[in-house]
Amino acid sequence: MKHTIKRNALVAAVLLAGTGSVWAAKDVVIAVASNFTTLDPYDANDTLSQAVAKSLYQGLFGFDKDMKRVNVLADSYEVSKDGLTYTVKLHPGVKFHDGTQLNAEAVKINLDRASNPDNHLKRYNLFKMIDKTEVVDANRVKIMLKAPFSAFINNLAHPAAAIISPAALAQYRKDIGFHPVGTGPYQFVTWNQTEFVKVKKFDGYWRPGLPKLSSITWRPVVDSNTRAAMLQTGEATFAFPIPYEQAKVLAGNSKLDVMTASSIQQRYISLNVTQKPFDNLKVRQALNYAINKTALIKVAFSGYAVPAEGPVPPTIDFAARYQPWPYDPAKARELLKEAGYPNGFTSPLWSSHNHSTAQKVLQFVQQQLAQVGVKVTVTAMDAGQRAAQVESVGVKDTGVRMFYTGWSASTGEADWALSPLFASPAAPPKQFNTAFYSNPQVDDDLSAALATTDRAEKQKFYQDAQDRIWADAPWIFLTTERLLSASSKQLSGFYVMPDMSFNFDHADLQ
Amino acid sequence: MLDYFLKRLLGLIPTLLMVAVLVFLFVHMMPGDPARLAAGPEADETVVQLVRHDLGLDKPLPQQFMHFFVNVLRGDFGTSMVSKRPVSEEIASRFMPTFWLTITSMLWAVILGLAVGMVSAVWRNRWPDHLGMMLAISGISFPAFALGMLLMQVFSVNLGWLPTVGADSWRHYILPSITLGAAVAAVMARFTRASLVEVLQEDYIRTARAKGVPESLVVVKHGLRNAMIPLVTMMGLQFGFLLGGSIVVEKVFNWPGLGRLLVDAVGMRDYPVIQAEVLLFSLEFILINLLVDMLYAAVNPTIRYQ
Repeated sequence: MKHTIKRNALVAAVLLAGTGSVWAAKDVVIAVASNFTTLDPYDANDTLSQAVAKSLYQGLFGFDKDMKRVNVLADSYEVSKDGLTYTVKLHPGVKFHDGTQLNAEAVKINLDRASNPDNHLKRYNLFKMIDKTEVVDANRVKIMLKAPFSAFINNLAHPAAAIISPAALAQYRKDIGFHPVGTGPYQFVTWNQTEFVKVKKFDGYWRPGLPKLSSITWRPVVDSNTRAAMLQTGEATFAFPIPYEQAKVLAGNSKLDVMTASSIQQRYISLNVTQKPFDNLKVRQALNYAINKTALIKVAFSGYAVPAEGPVPPTIDFAARYQPWPYDPAKARELLKEAGYPNGFTSPLWSSHNHSTAQKVLQFVQQQLAQVGVKVTVTAMDAGQRAAQVESVGVKDTGVRMFYTGWSASTGEADWALSPLFASPAAPPKQFNTAFYSNPQVDDDLSAALATTDRAEKQKFYQDAQDRIWADAPWIFLTTERLLSASSKQLSGFYVMPDMSFNFDHADLQ
Repeated sequence: MLDYFLKRLLGLIPTLLMVAVLVFLFVHMMPGDPARLAAGPEADETVVQLVRHDLGLDKPLPQQFMHFFVNVLRGDFGTSMVSKRPVSEEIASRFMPTFWLTITSMLWAVILGLAVGMVSAVWRNRWPDHLGMMLAISGISFPAFALGMLLMQVFSVNLGWLPTVGADSWRHYILPSITLGAAVAAVMARFTRASLVEVLQEDYIRTARAKGVPESLVVVKHGLRNAMIPLVTMMGLQFGFLLGGSIVVEKVFNWPGLGRLLVDAVGMRDYPVIQAEVLLFSLEFILINLLVDMLYAAVNPTIRYQ
């Protein structure tokens, strides 16, 4: 009798343990487009490495799946009247993966490291305006800036601004990129450099009831068709990006969902306004009228984009919206005649990338411009050529005339969408103002917006800047992309964000 | 023979050193600044300078070269500018998958190629010959990329028999080695046919038949053995190329191999990785050439080296 009870109890326990482990095994595999450079968010300049780091790290602030700024490790913040001092109040009771406590000292150590140029961190740009950081008490930290910078909180919401465990920093120093320790919902398991990064659920995560998944395996798969195949065989649970041609096939699969999301990725052709004929406003306007954006979207993006509605994509904070430049080749020809080019002109057209979408856009634009008399010679560049001939060359020697490229303002607000592209000091080789556009009123607007913390004031300055830029047309404004991803129907709560990172706070697997 | 072998091995070293110098110069002459590429398009000038200093690229070129040369002599190939891992680790973790894939592809490609070539040569101008050569032409003309994707679609997605990506189990080797081996088998088949057809015309073949040797033995023992020299050369070259990693197959099957590493490194101007990989490929080709030369002596006993 006793033995039977004991044996039955043992069997029941084993069965329960068995079913328990079956229920808990919520492992997902995410297939992504390229390899990861580092797991140190301060030293990663590619969105993908930062997206993976998001499973391990959190910052004081962050973005939700629609690019709206939210509080994460910070409960609240205050900014002084002069805009120089930010006091941030931390959420209490948060632990790092190694068991140490999150406190103001940890935040200070991280911000000191980020704002110190001797550390040679690639994201130093986002933190160079910090003068010093002080601990007020265990849960409050004061950050003092060198000059007012009203976009500062958005910089702290950028995926690069993660809080790393000071104990881990002290232990691993420069190798912290291979041994991440943060406060995020998952903790680091392994990084097989050729195959995947694996993270597993952190049981001490400070948000109750989360995370729901047991583990995430991030797998770089370079070929997009292979990614789509992996979804179909079940070897991947989620894949991004999906090639446009596969969207229909995958949508037809009963086990998969295909999702489109808006993005902050814009495509444009910048025109070098310091060179003839692009110094003439009428020419720039003509070029904008000459491109049929709806057709371009069908041809090059298979419908997964929208025509540009302004110099800044609509999901960015403080973006102004306008009517897209209409397609009017007759008006384009008329404007060219008025500008003194009745027979059009020739020009080189370069592209910052040479993948198939860029090639399609280049060919389409070449044909459209030919119809109004503008003949362009097309060169699609790879990263090395772009760095050598565009990014490193100043206005006097540059060969840049028409340049097809894109930009994604990863801080989610207008300064990062405007200053590196339209401010006078941002011309190459300093930054990415490949139009060499220089408008003192726009420069004033941009600095004034950074100096004030009043939202209504900022809105006024950014509106004025964007009005001028839209009217001056230093670019042919093309499109804002939509992001195509696909996942197994059993996976919920896993999204691609407009900045092409991922949001998976509430991800769950049936 | 052993003397010859050792002399050739010693001759390796000056050759490799010359290759090291050439590859350093060549790589540094490529347009594109690795610091700017590593820093990314969103970085401004200050960050690029920080990265340049971090990577040691702001030192004068002769100094960089001395640094590189001295380290190579010690066996230290530096750190990758992109991943910050030691280059030897990057290459080592990718070498074995590439090596095994090359072995499996060559194995079945050589066996199949030899078989098809022999059949075509023996039944010359009859239907087995036409069939064999048609297969060979398709093998060469069908682009590897398309073949790989087709095989993946049929066997992984539609039938579900084989996995798509990775190099974990023996099952993972099947589709990539078929894709890689198709072109090699096709070339082997044509070479075997051509070489064997020529040999089968020789007098000693007629003598062997006259002696009463069974036909199969005539073809295999007397014919094939004498036809081997060009085939061995071909196999050596193919092996060398495959060992460099086939970028196309590695892209489609996400194979963790050397080809992808080289292409990514060139794209990002990752000098240490490019230099180390080119040195590795040179070493591989030199060793394979040496092996092939040794094999000539084994296949044809009349060849002797001083």
